[in-house]
Amino acid sequence: MSFKSFALSATALLATSLVSADTLTVYTYDSFASDWGPGPKIKTNFEAQCDCELNFVALDSSVGILSRVQLEGDASEADVLLGLDLNVMEAAKQTGLLAQHSVDTSSVTTPGGWQDDHFVPFDQGYFAFIYDSEKLANVPTSLKDVVENQDLKVIYQDPRTSTPGLGLLLWMKSVYGDQVADAWEKLASHTVTVTKGWYDGYSLFLKGEADVVLSYTTSPAYHIVAEGEHKYKAASASEGFYPQIEVAAMLESAPNKALAEEFMQFILEPGFQNMVATGNWMYPVMDNVDPLPEAFTSQPQPTKVLTLDAEQVAQNRQAWINEWLEATTR
Amino acid sequence: MADPYTWRVVRFSFTQASLSALLSILLAIPMASCLFHRRFIGRQTLLSLFAISMVVPTIVAILGIVVVYGRNGWFTTLFGSAFPLYGLGGILLAHVFFNMPLAVRVILQAYQLIPDAQWRLASQLGFSRWHVFRLIEWHYLKKSLPGLFLLIFMLCFSGFAVVLSLGGGPRSSTLEVAIYQALRFEFDLNKASYLSLLQVSICSLVALAVYRLAPPLRQDISVYQGERLAMRSSRLANGVDALVSAVVLLWVLPPFVAILSPALSALFWQSLWQTDLWWSVWHSVRIALPSGLLALLIGLSIAALARTLRWRQRGDWWAQKLEQSGNLVLMVPSLVLATGLFLMFRSVGISIKHAYWIVVWVNAVMALPFVLRAIMPTIYQQEKRFRHLYTQMNVVGMARLRLEWPQIRSAVAQGLAYAVLLSLGDLGVVALFGSKGLETLPMYLYQLIGSYRVEQGACVAVVLILLCLTLFYSINRLVGGRRAVV
Repeated sequence: MSFKSFALSATALLATSLVSADTLTVYTYDSFASDWGPGPKIKTNFEAQCDCELNFVALDSSVGILSRVQLEGDASEADVLLGLDLNVMEAAKQTGLLAQHSVDTSSVTTPGGWQDDHFVPFDQGYFAFIYDSEKLANVPTSLKDVVENQDLKVIYQDPRTSTPGLGLLLWMKSVYGDQVADAWEKLASHTVTVTKGWYDGYSLFLKGEADVVLSYTTSPAYHIVAEGEHKYKAASASEGFYPQIEVAAMLESAPNKALAEEFMQFILEPGFQNMVATGNWMYPVMDNVDPLPEAFTSQPQPTKVLTLDAEQVAQNRQAWINEWLEATTR
Repeated sequence: MADPYTWRVVRFSFTQASLSALLSILLAIPMASCLFHRRFIGRQTLLSLFAISMVVPTIVAILGIVVVYGRNGWFTTLFGSAFPLYGLGGILLAHVFFNMPLAVRVILQAYQLIPDAQWRLASQLGFSRWHVFRLIEWHYLKKSLPGLFLLIFMLCFSGFAVVLSLGGGPRSSTLEVAIYQALRFEFDLNKASYLSLLQVSICSLVALAVYRLAPPLRQDISVYQGERLAMRSSRLANGVDALVSAVVLLWVLPPFVAILSPALSALFWQSLWQTDLWWSVWHSVRIALPSGLLALLIGLSIAALARTLRWRQRGDWWAQKLEQSGNLVLMVPSLVLATGLFLMFRSVGISIKHAYWIVVWVNAVMALPFVLRAIMPTIYQQEKRFRHLYTQMNVVGMARLRLEWPQIRSAVAQGLAYAVLLSLGDLGVVALFGSKGLETLPMYLYQLIGSYRVEQGACVAVVLILLCLTLFYSINRLVGGRRAVV
């Protein structure tokens, strides 16, 4: 390292140590922190109460947040991780980098309530297949319909590389149990393609490449609220929906623990919860919010919520992925 | 790793990458010949478009291809039945779209090395296009083919968004999917490095085989390039030219039209008012220019060293290895390279605050194979030309550069432009380090698409392509001079 860059880094170090007394660094995924996401408003609301500066560091995806922290270890400059989900919680816990929180989560509205000493949920939704009601006549009403209707062209995401893909894997497993391999094989015969991420699949669907695409029950709400487009709808599922819950956690090594704790509390307050619906296109996890736009309440609500135990998921994920691979490449 | 799926994936990747590379080169050879011998309206524009096809973000290219060949695409409207897009067909369609234009440009560069005297002779003897090709052109351009094949092979062997999206299911996959999964989802660094090693070994084997088959490299002394002479053109030559151009244009142009068409929408002009857009343009340029320069610097150093080695007795072998080592970096997934660097920097205590320089550096290294492809042949040729002059007159150092600059500047410009463009289009590296001040244009694009804003994303893609064209053109003009092939 040359003297110049040394001097530069020394100054940078000094500068951060001067301001870090009242700066909170939150790692999140890119669309959360973007201008049109909920990030900027949440920043304003939190800064109004904490007399500090809230900095979002935008990473490429929800797994990107975790792998970044794993890379950095306890040298991470992050205080809070915002945007992990149900299915990576166990892996995140096992890194040993997370701290316990003291937030009261008793009034959280996630299915079955919420008890976890590391994670605080901040929004929720359900995986669902989206269709274009102007084009699709024979609308599926269950996961079984999607799997078995050989005329239905389906796009979903790869469980090895994307969160919704993993969600479908668990949804299928909880509906079909031991018979899941046969179901996958049936689905494979009318699958258009299995994409790398959510956006590839969803944009292929918008271009008309498939009848249904795997996304969230709240996806139609975006089209209604932001575009005034009512033709996209979420197919209901009589077996029940599989939930997606996004969570936040504090780091043990957080440079600013007191602020981090305050932010964790803030997550369940209206200043945060009011922003998730039309900002992140998900449902809030508390009842203390403004009434949701009609676009949200008119979406299919689950008759039943299917969930698999987080530990079981962590243990069997690879085996289930192999099962899927085996069945779809047969 | 006795996993049968892994081997199936390797076999599939091998097939699709070989086919993509072969198809790209088979189309590129006659196309380059046609572009070299003929002048027509739109030729320059076409060549510029060819330069940027490989930096079109994959999702944008895929959507462009879908607009043309998809279920509701132009193809279906025109012929009444859908194109079998999902599967090997779609993968080849996309890979040739990305790489054939690159191949055309690399082969065209080989044409620039053909000495003037040969054209004069051919013209005097009344050679037909076919004779010229067989007796003259082939001997020059065949030298560039092994390297070109490898370059395209590796690009297709490793990238995976295209293969997954258009592959139609997990049967079509690449090793890099497993590497990505191991790195991002499982954080299993051992598995990731094991799989990367597997990928490097396979690519190395292919490289060995290709270089073994390749003709031994001999440099020719050629003289200054002057006027282009028209060759005798037969009806056959006209026919072949027309046919090849038609195939190539039908392959490349419709997706480009689909990609650029949002420029006509009102939304495009609205998105130009977003300050975020211009910030990301600035961040992109701030990374791309230094990293392009760095790549050029490294490339020139390798080239200079390699050609000095050639001067020595039995130095050829070393020179060749040095040159080939420049390709090596393509075998390693950029995500693995970036992760490795991240861990290395952390272990010596350099924090992520320096992410900017890490990104610049990784992008420069990743662009190296392209830079080498662009500058090597020309730089070798100059050495061959001036070697005796240098020894006799004791010309050293800067004086050599001054002598050679007029001959090499267009190749240097080309190499620099490629490196800048590649860095501009990069996503993998910058996404891993993502921090303030590094939100580049491709990242902005994916951010939009990642939150339902597909149409706005398409508009940003147009901006990205226009930015690439502008940079490509101005670098070639500024560095390459007025005579530069743009």
